[in-house]
Amino acid sequence: MKNNQMIPKRKKSVGQILNTPKVAGYVFILPFIIGFLAFMAIPMILSLGFSFTRYNILKSPVFIGLENYKTMFTADPKFWKVFGVTMYYVLFSVPLRLIMALAVAMLLVKSTKLSGFYRAVYYLPSIIGSSVAVAILWKRMFASDGVVNALLGIVGLPSDLAWLGRADTAIWTLIILAIWQFGSSMLIFLSGLKQIPVSLYEAATVDGANGIQRFFKITIPMLTPTIFFNLINQLINGFMAFTQSYIITQGKPRDTTLFYTVYMYQNSFTYNKLGYGCAMAWFMVFVVGMLTLVLFKTQKKWVHYEAEG
Amino acid sequence: MKKRILATTLAAILAASSLAACGSKTEPTETTKADAATTAATTAASTDTKPAASGDKVSLSLCWWGNQTRNDVTKKAVDLYMSKNPNVDIKVEFTDWSGYWDKLSAMAAGGNLPDIIQMDYSYLNQYQKSGQLADLSEFMSSGVIDTSKIPESIIKSGEVDGKTYALSLGSNAPMMVYDKAVVEKAGVTIPDQLTMDQLYDLGKTISEKTGAKTLYDGGINMMQIMARANGSHLFDELSTGKEDSMKIYFNTIEKFAKSDASISADLLAEKNPDVVETKPIIDGTTWNDLSLSNQFISISKTAGRELGITMFPTITDAKVQPLYLKPSMFFSIAESSKNKEEAAKFIDWFTNSTECNEILLAERGIPINTEVADAIKPKADAAAQTVFDYVAKVTEIATPIDAPDPSGKGEVEALGKTVSEAVRYGDATADDAVGQFVPEAKKILEEAAK
Repeated sequence: MKNNQMIPKRKKSVGQILNTPKVAGYVFILPFIIGFLAFMAIPMILSLGFSFTRYNILKSPVFIGLENYKTMFTADPKFWKVFGVTMYYVLFSVPLRLIMALAVAMLLVKSTKLSGFYRAVYYLPSIIGSSVAVAILWKRMFASDGVVNALLGIVGLPSDLAWLGRADTAIWTLIILAIWQFGSSMLIFLSGLKQIPVSLYEAATVDGANGIQRFFKITIPMLTPTIFFNLINQLINGFMAFTQSYIITQGKPRDTTLFYTVYMYQNSFTYNKLGYGCAMAWFMVFVVGMLTLVLFKTQKKWVHYEAEG
Repeated sequence: MKKRILATTLAAILAASSLAACGSKTEPTETTKADAATTAATTAASTDTKPAASGDKVSLSLCWWGNQTRNDVTKKAVDLYMSKNPNVDIKVEFTDWSGYWDKLSAMAAGGNLPDIIQMDYSYLNQYQKSGQLADLSEFMSSGVIDTSKIPESIIKSGEVDGKTYALSLGSNAPMMVYDKAVVEKAGVTIPDQLTMDQLYDLGKTISEKTGAKTLYDGGINMMQIMARANGSHLFDELSTGKEDSMKIYFNTIEKFAKSDASISADLLAEKNPDVVETKPIIDGTTWNDLSLSNQFISISKTAGRELGITMFPTITDAKVQPLYLKPSMFFSIAESSKNKEEAAKFIDWFTNSTECNEILLAERGIPINTEVADAIKPKADAAAQTVFDYVAKVTEIATPIDAPDPSGKGEVEALGKTVSEAVRYGDATADDAVGQFVPEAKKILEEAAK
């Protein structure tokens, strides 16, 4: 800033240099670049480095080559357990959330006086859904003396289930929480739905197609690019889930709700094995990367872009 | 043209200021000149500390783990200190037990540990060995921290390799809490110290007559008690792969798990007895709780009922009395602190001032300054009185505490919890559990010692 005020002498002034479109562009993206380098790129490179060390945080790291990765794959049964738990969670929560999002989007696509209000209301959970407050609310709702059991009691169903204490139900309370946060996918579906030309539906109706046929023959195919985008987004989100497991269940009972990210965090900061935690993080990067790649490869088979016909 | 220059300038300012904002946190405290006269006179000229203590505005950070009661009283005490020492500004942060150690190790990694750290006996070794803690001996010999009214043995509990790195904040002993009304209703009397078998039988009677369940959750404290009663020490056994005490431990877990009189595994998982506010005794699900004596005050307050205190159970045919006195927690000063002397002054006040301890009222355990303890005892409420009497009783029979826990304790503790849960849910027998836990714990300890 100081330089800007200097009076130009013979050469180009700093002002003039800054004034070229190229430089101005770089200056504009500078805040992002700095943020990206400081908070993303450099930490990531460091963590890759740490993943080859034994690093207990309090002492300086010792290089041990691939030892952490070896332990992870061969000598840590808990690692595979939490990997399985996370996969299970993603496998159910992502498709169910997308179905929910699409269903609500279909309901809200017609513009009425209140549709704006409803859109905002349904979007709300995805803003606040991963917050600690909602996690604690969830914990209370599913407590054995919580509101869920009370409601079940009213309709005459068994009402003494300890949802969070049973291995078969605890993970589902987390999946339900995930489904409830369908708002952001819903908004994307909404905009996708609105882009489908009305003429297609009109033509189909004239040809005698009923609602279900219209949905599967027009809506779904026309929506596949949106579905694809949402799927990738939510998949990555699903693997990154942390708060639910950390706050609501702490992995209990018997590690059946211990998410990969929470175990990674425990290794890094509770057991002081930061090197191992970093190795886990990089394995996750690899898994998510591979899944995304596979999805992109299958794209041709089921995603229809309009331009291609 | 002009617009573009303006825009780029603004962008540059934005970038620069955002960077500056990031940086300012780690920079040393702004030194705004306050009256240099204030308390400068009392500052004994100690040679090796920074002159920050001489009347400039000093800011200290203080972190602790705790519960609602502790958070309230500690904040009140800190406010009082700041009003008496206007040149000191103390920033406080608190969290629950498990989150605390995660947070602290992350802070240590980032090189910004708080000036004053609430430290636990089980972590003292680990933090001292890696050079994170300041030596308090010099402040004690220079009189900044007055130790004249503190028993030598208590000072010693914060020593590692002959130097003091932590000052105890109170004495503590393992205890069992029980619900007086429920016990009365069941028509049973609780003896001074139960054995595990007596607890089992008593729990059956109470459950039949009142419906309240018995808590027997296990965990690392329980393992330590079992090993002590069995004449050895937990980490001595685990590091050599000995199974004796763990056999008793897991068999007891199994015995209680199979009984209808005990709180069920799924309810126990949901309630989480590790946090005072969610302990199952609070809402009357169980009639007892196993904990450490300083927690009696906050448990009573949260439960809002009259609770009783008795000695932590021992095993049948115990070889040794397993109960011990433990420094409930310590204050340490971070080696990275820039205001060590000011931090030491606060610790001195926290320990030796009656007015401070009148606010704290033994929530962190019985004050270590004997005069302060005597002074506040009559002012303490019924719950605190009970703790005073209990600790005095245990003092007479206590055996020396285990050596500070080795590195890897955190992971062994987590493993112990998971394996105990497996037994409780009926997915493993006690024998399976011993066979899994002992060798894995040994491996963890070997790894961590590297």
